[in-house]
Amino acid sequence: MDVGALISQSRSRVVAALAARFRDLDLAEDAFSDAALTALAVWPADPPRDPAAWLWRAALRRGLDAVRRSKVRTDAVHDIPPPEPTPEDLAMLADAPIPDERLRLIFVCCHPALAPEARAALTLKVVCGLSTERLARAFLVGEPAMLQRITRAKKKIAAAGVPFEVPARAARPERLGAVLATLEIAYAQAYEDAALAGDAADFAAEVLRLSGLLAELLPDDPEVLALAALVRFAEARRPARLDDLGAMVPLGEQDVAQWTERLIGEGARLLDRAAGEKSTGPYRILAAIHGAHLARRESGATPWPTIAALYDALILLRPGPVTAVNRAVAVGMARGAEAGLAALEAIRTDRDLGAWLPWQAARAGLCEQAGRPAKALAALDAALALEPAPAERLYLVRRRAMLRGRPAG
Amino acid sequence: MQYMLLIYEPEEHYANASEAFLTEIVGKHMALSAELREAGQLVSGDGLQGVETATTVVTDASGAQSLHDGPFAETKEQLGGYYLIDVPDLDAALAWARRMPVVPGGKVEVRPVMIY
Repeated sequence: MDVGALISQSRSRVVAALAARFRDLDLAEDAFSDAALTALAVWPADPPRDPAAWLWRAALRRGLDAVRRSKVRTDAVHDIPPPEPTPEDLAMLADAPIPDERLRLIFVCCHPALAPEARAALTLKVVCGLSTERLARAFLVGEPAMLQRITRAKKKIAAAGVPFEVPARAARPERLGAVLATLEIAYAQAYEDAALAGDAADFAAEVLRLSGLLAELLPDDPEVLALAALVRFAEARRPARLDDLGAMVPLGEQDVAQWTERLIGEGARLLDRAAGEKSTGPYRILAAIHGAHLARRESGATPWPTIAALYDALILLRPGPVTAVNRAVAVGMARGAEAGLAALEAIRTDRDLGAWLPWQAARAGLCEQAGRPAKALAALDAALALEPAPAERLYLVRRRAMLRGRPAG
Repeated sequence: MQYMLLIYEPEEHYANASEAFLTEIVGKHMALSAELREAGQLVSGDGLQGVETATTVVTDASGAQSLHDGPFAETKEQLGGYYLIDVPDLDAALAWARRMPVVPGGKVEVRPVMIY
């Protein structure tokens, strides 16, 4: 029996129930950790019938003890938890099934009153149980800084009176938007992390699980389903993203045989479920774009006109330099390099994009495609001067060497 | 739980404002206060006179005090008024904050009041 796995499988559900019961994230995490430590010692000899229920009972008892010990803390909490149960109440409470409070917990951790980076870190810490050390590595900050970020967010939730509730219908779109944006940041971080260190599979797996959990908890929301699909499509390509020498392989040149079939299937099923809904949000379009790229697996060719049309729609819903640069590349492939370059030039004046690596890299590609090697070389030099990550640097250096007509060295 | 809603706005907007504009924004504040009072959530609230009337008492590191003619910081937006409200949670406070009549560039800071 893998005790550690049993504990981590139960974690989100038990921590969420504790957080909802005590209105205190620290207390919930501490009570769970205590219970988990006991489980590690006891379970090998005496395995529980229902691990989650065992942990819930043990952690609940510890939580109640802690509340009793620090009456001061309870007095300072505005959102006062229900009165302390008698031993009979406790027995009943512990026998009742664990309430599923995970959605409430996710909404609390992703409250828009918290900075987006703090939301992402806090959610991965509290809901997924990632360590501060692992989060610090993924978010490229020091461990003390990460600890401070999480502590500050927890403190704000308690002190500012963030409610432990699933938001009312009127506030739902904005609050859900904050949750989705948080997940997207978490995944983007996992994606970056992988490019740099290559050890992010565990981190990405958590984000994958979290997006799947959200799709399970909100099975009728097309954007939730689409985001879950999106991270699966992106994750499916992970094995093909770097070549043997560690250089980045652009999406259009990846070896489709290396893509993970299982994740593509999961994503496609999620996206199918979203397709019945009328409204179209940005995540559905993004997922459709990723889906279209993956279609190359069957057809052998990337459907660029479809992708360019999807970007035309996306740029209206989600303007911004990332969408604009990706759109320019798609337009270049679908409607010719000159059209792509025009789209790229049109956004240059927005916030000095000339000093932005993705813009220069896109320009290099489009200039090369347009048969202007000198301009492509200049853009490649500009991109390389902007400190690309090692995998992208290798790729850009190789492109430059090819343009100059000699092998990379 | 009590929250203070601190209203920061670019003052020049008011300095050059027409009589009609001022009447309108004051009217909006009156209406909002009435609504808050009716909901039993208004503790207090006031508008402040302009920063040209502000005097700041500065205590330096050694404890010595001096007076400064003006607000504590020269920023584009200045504190122009506040509401002290008593509502169940942050979401409720934020909902009121969103409804504050502010001019373009205006900001409403929501601060929970300390509990002793």
